[in-house]
Amino acid sequence: MLKAIIVDDEQHCINRLDGLLQEYGNDIDVLARCHSIEAAKSEIDRESPDILFLDVQLGNDTGFDLLSQLTRIDFEVIFTTSYDNYALKAFKYSALDYLLKPIDKTDFIHALQKLRQQNNLKETSKKIDVLFHNFKDNNDSSKRIAIPTIEGYTMVDTSNIVRLQSDVNYTHIYTSSKKKITASKTIKFFEDLLEGQSFFRVHKSHLVNLNFIESYNKGKGGYLTLSDGNKIEVAVRRKEALLKQLM
Amino acid sequence: MLPSINKNIYFSLLFLFLFNTSYSQNKTLDSLKNELRTYLPKDTVRVGLLVRTAFEMTYSDPNGAFPLIDESIAISRSKNWIKGEALGLRQKGNLYYVLADNLNALDTYQKALVLSKKISDKQLESSLLSNIGNIHADLKEYGHALENYRAYLKTSQELGNRPDEIKALSNIAIVYNDSENFEEGISYLEKALELAKLEKNDLFVAAITNNLALAQKKLGLHEKALKNYQKAADLAQIIGNKYIEASALNSIGEINALLQNYDIAETYADRALSISKEIGAVEWQSDSWKVLSSAYENKGKATEALKAFKEYVSLRDSVLSEEKKSELTRKEMQFKMERQQAIAEEEIKRERLVKNGYLIGTILLVIISALGYLFYKRRRDALEKKKIAEFNAQVAETELKALRSQMNPHFIFNSLNSISDFISRRDIKQADDYLIKFSKLTRSILENSEKKWITLKEDLELMELYIQLEALRLEEKLNYTITVDSSIETDNTLIPPLILQPFIENSIWHGIAPKNGVGQIDLAIKKDKDMLVCSVDDNGVGRSKNHNQTHKNNSFGLKITSNRIDIINHLKNTKGSLKLLDKNEGVRVEIRLPFEAQF
Repeated sequence: MLKAIIVDDEQHCINRLDGLLQEYGNDIDVLARCHSIEAAKSEIDRESPDILFLDVQLGNDTGFDLLSQLTRIDFEVIFTTSYDNYALKAFKYSALDYLLKPIDKTDFIHALQKLRQQNNLKETSKKIDVLFHNFKDNNDSSKRIAIPTIEGYTMVDTSNIVRLQSDVNYTHIYTSSKKKITASKTIKFFEDLLEGQSFFRVHKSHLVNLNFIESYNKGKGGYLTLSDGNKIEVAVRRKEALLKQLM
Repeated sequence: MLPSINKNIYFSLLFLFLFNTSYSQNKTLDSLKNELRTYLPKDTVRVGLLVRTAFEMTYSDPNGAFPLIDESIAISRSKNWIKGEALGLRQKGNLYYVLADNLNALDTYQKALVLSKKISDKQLESSLLSNIGNIHADLKEYGHALENYRAYLKTSQELGNRPDEIKALSNIAIVYNDSENFEEGISYLEKALELAKLEKNDLFVAAITNNLALAQKKLGLHEKALKNYQKAADLAQIIGNKYIEASALNSIGEINALLQNYDIAETYADRALSISKEIGAVEWQSDSWKVLSSAYENKGKATEALKAFKEYVSLRDSVLSEEKKSELTRKEMQFKMERQQAIAEEEIKRERLVKNGYLIGTILLVIISALGYLFYKRRRDALEKKKIAEFNAQVAETELKALRSQMNPHFIFNSLNSISDFISRRDIKQADDYLIKFSKLTRSILENSEKKWITLKEDLELMELYIQLEALRLEEKLNYTITVDSSIETDNTLIPPLILQPFIENSIWHGIAPKNGVGQIDLAIKKDKDMLVCSVDDNGVGRSKNHNQTHKNNSFGLKITSNRIDIINHLKNTKGSLKLLDKNEGVRVEIRLPFEAQF
């Protein structure tokens, strides 16, 4: 049996999770249901749970405040939130799991499956580090992201990513330290993830960091020369928007 | 007539040596005319002949000489023979002068002078300066006259031409005397006299001595004057010059009358009178009669005195009338010249004014154009800015309204009602299902409505979610199909988010919900050249049947969608459109958008 604690300041949300767990989580035992981070903190210390269902908005506090107060995180965290773009972005950067309220049973089942499959706590603590890193360095230009690979997760600062290249359902990520990371996500995933950062989709297969562009050569679409010496083709339809970005 | 110049006061050299030419007088006019008839080639020889013939005709037929002299000038010009042209012009000037047309004479001489300077012909230049000086002297323009005579003097000295030098000195002296500067006049005359004696030219000596005596007489130096008049008279008699002799003798009589030596005065006046009669010099006859009258009167011969006085008066009147005529001509000339000068000055002024006018006009034009352009640009920029601002405002407003149309409160509350209905019927599973779908759709709408374009794939997923939700509410009353042309890659084709939603909503709520039986909605996406054609077909009750009811909602969704299409058309310069078609059964909506591929 897996031990779980639910943290939410609204009873009906706890009820819903309880209901879902009753139906789909026979192997999960809910040890405590907390309404505040203080209560949650003591319950966590006492019970040492395997899973924490954590609401983002807890009155005047946030679920992140709770995590930051803990000395050790040796459990899986599944965030729950209703509608908070800022938090969603943070989860996406750190690849932490989250459920949107009201919780869809399909999503819930999927989350539980993932939980059972990969019980790698070391990975979780790395993801939470990324989460805190992004909150601490509150600058938008450099965020750390958790890149899902076949082996696990690789943490990279976005400012070190030179370019991303699509390879069917995988994406190769090239860093400024000449490392190549192959992610098990599509380039579209990263395009959405890195939106608002200095990345631009110049081609169906290429997403480049504008800060690494050395030069642009004119042509039908033209091509870019990046600081690592690579030449990247620019799609005709993207040329105009790209030049607008570069000017 | 030529000899009228200055003769009333001074017997001058002026008319004696008026025309400076280099011809020796050994050919007669007839022989020249004959030569002209036989020598026809248009060359320098003919020019020479023409000028000489014209010269010979100066006094006898000046008007008849013009054609000849014009021909000479024309030939010279065609041959580029500048000297020929200058000689021709000089002779033409002589003709004008003789005809008392001082203005043209002066003008023509000036032209000739320019040419002579061009070819550095000093002799020609010298003669022209003399002639020009003469005209100015005639017009009593003493300053100009002296100026030209001095130049004449200088050129003649440079050339070593003694006779010309004498003439120049004499003429300068005469100008001084005319302007009553007798001391200066006498000094020039003495210089001239000295040179004339060196030249052994008795005519010059006689004439100059006569003029010298006259100046001395004016200064009251009667002794010196008498002595010189006597010398002049004697010399004139020897060389047979009756003019000088008559003038000198009469002057001696005049002075003796003044000195009350009436017998001597009578004798000289008699002698002068007889010579004057001989040569027909009326003025001097009158002068002589005056002297005689005064002599008779003082000797007590009253009858003779009266007779002499009458003669004097009648002759004086004829001289005066003659003089008046010449004075009139002179005045007229002067007037003409002044007028022409005034006109020329006016012309210069006018030209300067016009020039300045053009300059100022141009500057003003430039300034006005610059200002105009500046204002135009500012206005244009302001308009452009305003347009952009207005457009941006329109975009923002439309985006907001689009969101509002997608998050139609009717839709929200109807959904909540449905959920409530499921709950009251204790269909918890349906209620939950509905609720989850509703929240997912709402979330997606909120997320995507921020974007201007999303992929067709995402949009169709959203639309399907929406239709499913409505299908749940209508409980098996609604079937739908979504078809996309195989040529369209849904994940690489862009579309404004949820642009079809208001029409699907209309079809379901106002077409299918009121209908008895199962309704059908067909979404189709096609490609037509460079346009993406999206259509929504329903088999509902159609618009006409419940027009009043649905008018407001319909027009709201319609207006927002057409606004969104307008904005796209504006930004992409395309011809997107929106069409509503009423079918036999139901409605068809067709939206044409520019086909936008992501890559």
